Amino acid sequence: MSNKIIYPQGIEKALQQIHEILEEAQLDFFTNNNLLSQRTLALLILQKDRDIWHNVQVNLPNYNEIEQIIFETQQNLGKPITEAIALTRQKIAIDLENQVLQESQFDQVGIGEKIHHLMVNPLTGFPLLLLILYYGVYQFVGNFGGGTLVDLIEGFFETRINPVVNEAVKVIFPWQILQDLFANDYGIITLGIRYATAIILPIVATYFLVFSIMEDTGYLPRLSLMLDRLFNLIGLSGRAVIPIVLGFGCDTMATVVTRTLETKRERIIATFLLALAIPCAAQWGVILGLLAQKPYALLFWAIIVSCIFLITGFLTSRLLPGKSANFYMEIPPLRLPKLKNIITKTYVRMQWYFWEIIPLFIYASILIWLGRLTGLFDLIIRWLEPVSLSLGLPREVAPVFLYGFFRRDYGAAGLFDIQKNIGLTGNQLVICAIILTLFLPCVAQFQVMLKEQGWKNTLAMVSFIFPFAFVVGFCVFHGLQITGINL
Amino acid sequence: MECHKCSRNSCHSKTQKNWFTSLFNFQSKSQSYTEVFSEIALVGMPNVGKSVLFNALTGIYATVSNYPGTTVEVARGKTQIGEHSFGVIDTPGMYSLLPITEEEKVARDLLMRKSVSLAIHVVEAKNLGRMLPLTFQLLEAGLPLILAINMMDEASRLKIKIDPLSLEEKLNIPVVKMSATQGIGIDQLKRRIVNYVK
Repeated sequence: MSNKIIYPQGIEKALQQIHEILEEAQLDFFTNNNLLSQRTLALLILQKDRDIWHNVQVNLPNYNEIEQIIFETQQNLGKPITEAIALTRQKIAIDLENQVLQESQFDQVGIGEKIHHLMVNPLTGFPLLLLILYYGVYQFVGNFGGGTLVDLIEGFFETRINPVVNEAVKVIFPWQILQDLFANDYGIITLGIRYATAIILPIVATYFLVFSIMEDTGYLPRLSLMLDRLFNLIGLSGRAVIPIVLGFGCDTMATVVTRTLETKRERIIATFLLALAIPCAAQWGVILGLLAQKPYALLFWAIIVSCIFLITGFLTSRLLPGKSANFYMEIPPLRLPKLKNIITKTYVRMQWYFWEIIPLFIYASILIWLGRLTGLFDLIIRWLEPVSLSLGLPREVAPVFLYGFFRRDYGAAGLFDIQKNIGLTGNQLVICAIILTLFLPCVAQFQVMLKEQGWKNTLAMVSFIFPFAFVVGFCVFHGLQITGINL
Repeated sequence: MECHKCSRNSCHSKTQKNWFTSLFNFQSKSQSYTEVFSEIALVGMPNVGKSVLFNALTGIYATVSNYPGTTVEVARGKTQIGEHSFGVIDTPGMYSLLPITEEEKVARDLLMRKSVSLAIHVVEAKNLGRMLPLTFQLLEAGLPLILAINMMDEASRLKIKIDPLSLEEKLNIPVVKMSATQGIGIDQLKRRIVNYVK
């Protein structure tokens, strides 16, 4: 490389000294494991890179010599070493850019710029958000996906597939027990596969479509920017908006994305909030589908869940020690999304989602079948019945909570089924929807939480979330009863 | 440079050990030379189009969004350029070699420990100045490097012009202008990759 970057004198001197110490020590770690040049290594050590510094401490007996060098350099510079290094690089970069880049001086305010301000300014941004939620999510996902499409496919299942399957199974297996495994009320095909294809699939597909458009246009980062101040209130930096907003697509994926957060504290808060109060695509969809006919109930649900989000976020950020990190986020330009990209993305996500839930729904059907066979299922339902009765819910809802343990969307789909068959009042629907939202979404998220946070934190979160969901449901029921509100 | 060679060899033996993938690599034995120089890493800041380029090179779909932080884990694929085949690695976005967050660490560790024979630094045309510091760091680290200036279409809409030849001269590495979503510049990039590795 011909153009080596020359840092300020003090730093160059320190680099040379560190280099000499490393050279002398001939550490295996640095000669074998590293593809990075000696200069880069010295620079990273000088900036006390967490990993590399740890290795220095472990492998180099005289590491305090280096520590001394770093300390002295720091003293002489009068500003953080990392900053001095970054400034040097930036200056050279800007010089270089000026040499090779021609920019037209006339910076006209384009239409993109105008839309950007509309999206970011809370005064216009919030109404815009409401519009998007109303037309994109409520009308398209809730009414079209969760209403029209579900009715179409469900109807097809009920009239064409289920009777055929029931008959066929009756012919193949002469025993009632085996018939029930595949067909009838709780069978793999008639319940598991029907839930997955007829209820979840159309809703998730329409939701992913809307979500992909929001992603590809660049609306999501602007939404994050607008929500930044709100997030600061609950002790999260604007950066935490990224995983939280992604959580509306899939909480499991979003929990992995919490890696983009700087501090451990923020990761814990974000993971917890994702598990508790952010409904994922499947939940959104089914809840919207359930409540679409009752707009007030939907509004009530939204208010309760957002209050819980804000309050628990605020409290956890107060309870957890440490201070919040700085906000730093890239705002990509607004782009007109390409139809092909959006369709591919929606398709890939749908496919991934579908193949993930199909086996789970089948296992759930088998477990329920086993549970019914051994009488365990009825026993648990009998325990849960008082719970549902105390929440003002009909007996039939008890199994839904049991499904909810397997997967939140499975439970939600069950609720959908009950609503169609026996009908629930607005109040009852709201209570179910709230409990299902607060519950942990699925086994996959639980696994990811274990992986990212360790069993201690995960267990603490889960043991709070489970009872909390029911307590909130209980409070809402009594609150509604006392005030005499009928949604 | 000694160090590079040695870890390349160690990686090579690793790929040989994997019996399952070797079942499908009928060609690899006859082309052991290209096998050795085979891994290309796509690096750069978040949301510059690394995943789009990954899709274009490998034909494998990695989720792409207009949203920083979409890639959290490393994706791997293969690309065939003429008679050479290369492994391609899509990395999470990083701002510098000094990682602050977990995802940046994933990308840095990959550059440190895996035998990457070529890094392609993907940058956004209109934010060149902000992204060049990472180029400097990659050069400092001694990684073989190609600079891919992406999103030229957006830059030209903003009437920004970039002179790749003088940039090439100043940095002393190949510089390619492209627009990955439109498929522009991909072929040129491929040619540069082959030339570089030869």
